[in-house]
Amino acid sequence: MGIPYARAIDAWRAAAPAAPQACALAVPELLRGFHPDHRPGGMRVLRAGASAGSPCPAELADLLQADSPLEDVDIAGAPMLETDVLVIGGGGAGCVAALTAARAGARVLLATKLRIGDSNTVMAEGGIQAAVGAEDSLQRHFEDTLRAGHFAADKALVAALVSDGPDAIRWLIQEGMSFDLAEGAQRMGGTLLRKTPGGASAARLLSYRDFTGLELMRALREATLLQPGIVTLDRHPAVELLTDDRGRCAGAALQDLGRGRTVLVRSGATVLATGGSGRLHVAGFPTSNHYGATADGLVLAYRLGAPLREVDSFQYHPTGIAWPRHLEGALVSEAARSSGAALVNALGHRFVEELRPRDVVAAAILREIAEGRGVERDGCTGVFLDTPSLEQATPGILGRSLVTLTHLARRAGIDAAAEPLLVRPTLHYQNGGVAIDPACRTVVPGLLCAGEVTGGLHGRNRMMGNALLELVAFGRRAGASAAADARGERPRNVGLTHLADWRRALIVQGLPLGRKAPVIFPAYGNFDIAPARGRAA
Amino acid sequence: MADISTLAEPVRFVFDGHAIETGVRTSLLQAWVGAGLPLTENVGCMGQGVCGACRVLVRRAGERLACTALACETLAEPGMQVSFLDHFPASRPHAYDLRALTDSWTAIDRIDAVFPEAKNCRHCSGCDRACPKGIEVQRMVNLAAAGQALAAADLFDHCVMCNLCVAACPEHIDPAHLGQFVRRMTASLTLRPSDLIMRLHEIEEGRQPIDPDAPGANPLVAP
Repeated sequence: MGIPYARAIDAWRAAAPAAPQACALAVPELLRGFHPDHRPGGMRVLRAGASAGSPCPAELADLLQADSPLEDVDIAGAPMLETDVLVIGGGGAGCVAALTAARAGARVLLATKLRIGDSNTVMAEGGIQAAVGAEDSLQRHFEDTLRAGHFAADKALVAALVSDGPDAIRWLIQEGMSFDLAEGAQRMGGTLLRKTPGGASAARLLSYRDFTGLELMRALREATLLQPGIVTLDRHPAVELLTDDRGRCAGAALQDLGRGRTVLVRSGATVLATGGSGRLHVAGFPTSNHYGATADGLVLAYRLGAPLREVDSFQYHPTGIAWPRHLEGALVSEAARSSGAALVNALGHRFVEELRPRDVVAAAILREIAEGRGVERDGCTGVFLDTPSLEQATPGILGRSLVTLTHLARRAGIDAAAEPLLVRPTLHYQNGGVAIDPACRTVVPGLLCAGEVTGGLHGRNRMMGNALLELVAFGRRAGASAAADARGERPRNVGLTHLADWRRALIVQGLPLGRKAPVIFPAYGNFDIAPARGRAA
Repeated sequence: MADISTLAEPVRFVFDGHAIETGVRTSLLQAWVGAGLPLTENVGCMGQGVCGACRVLVRRAGERLACTALACETLAEPGMQVSFLDHFPASRPHAYDLRALTDSWTAIDRIDAVFPEAKNCRHCSGCDRACPKGIEVQRMVNLAAAGQALAAADLFDHCVMCNLCVAACPEHIDPAHLGQFVRRMTASLTLRPSDLIMRLHEIEEGRQPIDPDAPGANPLVAP
């Protein structure tokens, strides 16, 4: 399949540092030929629901067109909590929305599947984009984001994102998040360290070491836990949304995993901030995602009538660990390539400009592997990320600013300063999701969405650093809208009336009612929500 | 740690009372899942080592004392005894409002006001031994108690908030939260980047307009 490791490492050593080389194939052909979104037979056309007729990966389509694990009788007599704003999801977007809504005077209940903070946010490494450089502008950030997304994004959402950028950074600093400063800069009046994310026309990536998401999440988690007016429920995943007799979202049914019972929450407004779906392992890829990323929010919003967009578009991060097997899929941050680490095939050649957009770089790596120029080690195939040449060019960089990478290499049993890492693309991000407007409202009254669960912002490919910015910018927008909406009409006659229509739609299309979603945990978590209800997990 | 990379035999160990058999180079978390046991808590980032959710108590074969670790970062070894440690929030919340800290002259006094137990440190170093990241927790507590906020904050750069030091501290100092407090306080009070401030002024004054119809905001039309 590939070239054996021993031969490949000799080729790498002979050529290091390998000379840059242009990508030979034209981009559209490269993507069509090698990007996993285009694999033959991978997509299915949705038959039921608001996005019927749209293509969707088979793994996700099965869940979107599944039945609820709940029946009317399951919620009869269930304890009912009451709040102004219900936030579902305890990652970055959820915490930002909860904080904003609570500070606007709303009573907030934040429910999360694992613990508050356990999410993809904490795993984000590279950084957060905001156009603060003198040579940079909001317009350039706007155009870069649209171009990277192949012009499929909603311009109003992108404009909202980029214009919120600088103020989002100020807000984060006020919440106690630190940022790296330029070499020798002072904390007061200095300038921020800026790196260039793949596909950008200016250095715009702000960071904290290479664990920017951890730094962001630990500040936001403390802020949320200390904020008066927010009640948090850990280990309470949402299994269904509630509606009232006018079709308004009226809250959610949560599964209390500790006690094995259903709890209902009635709310004036509901914010879905449930993140993505990497743990569905679309196209059989390993994933860099958090354990809880199982598309729950997409399933719940879709069943309630919210259309999705670009759900056939996923981001495969170019540099996941390919070897050793027990670390497969773990992420090597794009910060390594922004700092100058090269990708090298088994012949010792570079084959792509490393800072092209992620879909291009990922497809180029998959092409090397498919055409036999990959490196094979213990049955795992990938290409080299040349960290030793980077360390040689910039002594000390691995220990100083690529901390997470160095830690990962040590766990792989190698010294990143002496031996290159073996990498290949890993399933990283859900580019599409629930369609929203710039105020984070969906077409379903009372239902708002923020963060990775939403679609329209990234088009068909997300730029590095726009995910962390998205969760702050749109988390704040969602929190403000939810607090305002919750002051309006309260839901009445709350229940599961929407499920009757949904089941009828499934039956009309000949879809099975036996499949239940959301799944809450990936299959290898040895947990099935349907029989587990009524039993503590 | 025993060198297990050369072992061909399956690794047998006990995890929360379950006798588990697994392959070499398998993390404790992977071994748990591989044994068919339900994983609905004590899990987060699945191996990146940033979430601090998979805390375990580990006693290795032949050792008398147990130590704390993260299950995603620790490989299974023959004869190990392992148990998950439940999530334990700080027993007494040290409440503060960062946004009310507007007078930086009195900010350092707030460390003692919010975390009065910090000065009671017994120097037992239980927190240092509990930390799976090798952070000098006790030194941070002592620096913070002495008002040296920046030096204390630096020591907690790599903290993942697993709260194992919180559980270990007999004085209820809540070191992880103290560390987070000094880190947040120093960032919010002292970080004032000029480039960010300039850009915010430009936006307020309307000097950063966005033109959705600019040539760069639309696909190239083939000639």
